[in-house]
Amino acid sequence: MEPDLKTSVKGEILAVKDLPTLPHVLDEVTSLIENPETSSEAIAKVISTDQVLSAKVLKMVNSPIYGFPGRISSIQHALVLLGFNVIRGIIISTSVFDMMVQAMKGLWEHSLGCATACNIIARRAGFEDPEEYAVAGLLHDLGKVVTAVQLPELHQRISETVQAKELTYFQAEKDVLGFGHDRINAWLARHWGLPPNIREAMARHHAPQLAEFYKPMSCVVHLGDFLVRLFEFGNAGDDQTSYLRPEALMELGFKMSDLDKVMDEMADQLLEVSDVTF
Amino acid sequence: MNQTLEDSLFQRKQTAFLLSPDKAFAEMLKGLWSPDVMEFKVFEHGGGAIEHLFNEPPDLLVVDNRLSDISGREVANLVKSENVYRQLPVVMCVDPIDVETPWNWNQIEVDDFLVRPFNPSEVRDRINLTLCRAMRALDANPLSKLPGNTSIIQRIQSLIDAREDFALAYCDLDYFKSYNDKYGFSRGDEILMMSARLIVNTIRSYPGVPSFVGHVGGDDFVFILPPDKVEDACRRIIKAFDDIVPHFYDPEDRKRGNITSVDREGNTRVFPLMAVSIAVVINEEGRIRHYGEVSSIAMGLKKKAKENPKSSYVIDQRKG
Repeated sequence: MEPDLKTSVKGEILAVKDLPTLPHVLDEVTSLIENPETSSEAIAKVISTDQVLSAKVLKMVNSPIYGFPGRISSIQHALVLLGFNVIRGIIISTSVFDMMVQAMKGLWEHSLGCATACNIIARRAGFEDPEEYAVAGLLHDLGKVVTAVQLPELHQRISETVQAKELTYFQAEKDVLGFGHDRINAWLARHWGLPPNIREAMARHHAPQLAEFYKPMSCVVHLGDFLVRLFEFGNAGDDQTSYLRPEALMELGFKMSDLDKVMDEMADQLLEVSDVTF
Repeated sequence: MNQTLEDSLFQRKQTAFLLSPDKAFAEMLKGLWSPDVMEFKVFEHGGGAIEHLFNEPPDLLVVDNRLSDISGREVANLVKSENVYRQLPVVMCVDPIDVETPWNWNQIEVDDFLVRPFNPSEVRDRINLTLCRAMRALDANPLSKLPGNTSIIQRIQSLIDAREDFALAYCDLDYFKSYNDKYGFSRGDEILMMSARLIVNTIRSYPGVPSFVGHVGGDDFVFILPPDKVEDACRRIIKAFDDIVPHFYDPEDRKRGNITSVDREGNTRVFPLMAVSIAVVINEEGRIRHYGEVSSIAMGLKKKAKENPKSSYVIDQRKG
């Protein structure tokens, strides 16, 4: 590996101008925005099913232009503060990358499933604002999307490595790049001014025991990612099961029986999610 | 040229001072607007004009760099150095040779400049634009960029004059001061920016109705909506505010649901999280004649709304 791969990759990653979103999500939000009777709740609900749109909305509302950087981690709040005109602007400048839709679709389902799981886990653990945990779950693999768009050749090599060596996507990233999407998430979240709780959960979902300030949120996303893989819902770039850190369960005060209940709820809700959106 | 004030860009007749020895230019300027819209007072020398300028500041000052007794820059700087006159738009007139080397516009704080030979229609529109721009800038709150008191009063008075039904809501934040004292003014400003965005977007979400949002200053905002929409808007503003504001507190304070800060007398006190109080005055069937009545009714209602430490709204139910 060249010594400056990290620097050059970081530069390219942060230069991302346009990110792909799924056509039907875009269509749905567009038609909601055009209807004057639509409530911001309804729009927030649809935007919350797409990691790219959600990230764009949070990026914008937390930018210094609005004057409260790093404060807003809920899509619903972001919409109230941005207004429909800005949302319309975000929609107009969001594209559908046809060639990516198939690859995106698996990752999109995985992210949506993880968001659903995080919401259930956070409520079970008795945390306030489970919606924010869902946002963190939704965005936990954003780094993978950005790599695919910004560095298609490296993305290709990572995917080939997953196949050839039977690694997880995360391990293959380390093999090819020397670091994983957790690092890329941290760069993006800082560069975009996302709130610190979301940022840390995005950066620490593979190693929640290392989280410094928002350990519970990192643990929730870690567990959510694990469970949604267990359900084989969507595709995160490989078909392996990730390692579950026992510290995460301890942090949340979860016993095996809690996991059972979370999984029961997930079974119901994932069915609902797939009904609505596929 | 024969334009009436009603058709013009301005709310009232504008007066302008021209400081220039160029008689032809003065005649041209006078011919560009009807005297009901813009009246020019022409001074051939700078010296005598300054005192007039300070005693009766005009709406616009046009200064020619050809003045013989004092330089145009000096006049401009005299005006711009005093905060009382700083907002007065100043247009500088120059010859091409004057601007051959670049000017330091940080030191000559004029608002626009015109270069000879003058093209009448360009001069007319440059000056119109300068005045409109100055009006917008003058009355925007520097923090939220929302219209300020002058625009608020004008809007209310024009609704009263048109005998249109409207509801005027005054919003202010409870315990904003203690938040500011504890977390510092830059985080206080974040709250004001958030509140401004929240109110604007709630009001804008009623499509096709006349509406208005202004920032009186500090933590006071106003909005105007048709009477049948106002109660719904109050509820939505309160709901959104109460949802969002806890996120602007440090986690410990948010969990505890209060902050410890020092009150006006210097005593340590516990304050609840911020809330929003809204006082609504409804003007139907033209019962209100003057802006002052609106604000005095609203101030009375505000006290009532403030009695409740939680977010609340009070609507003036009196009928005309």
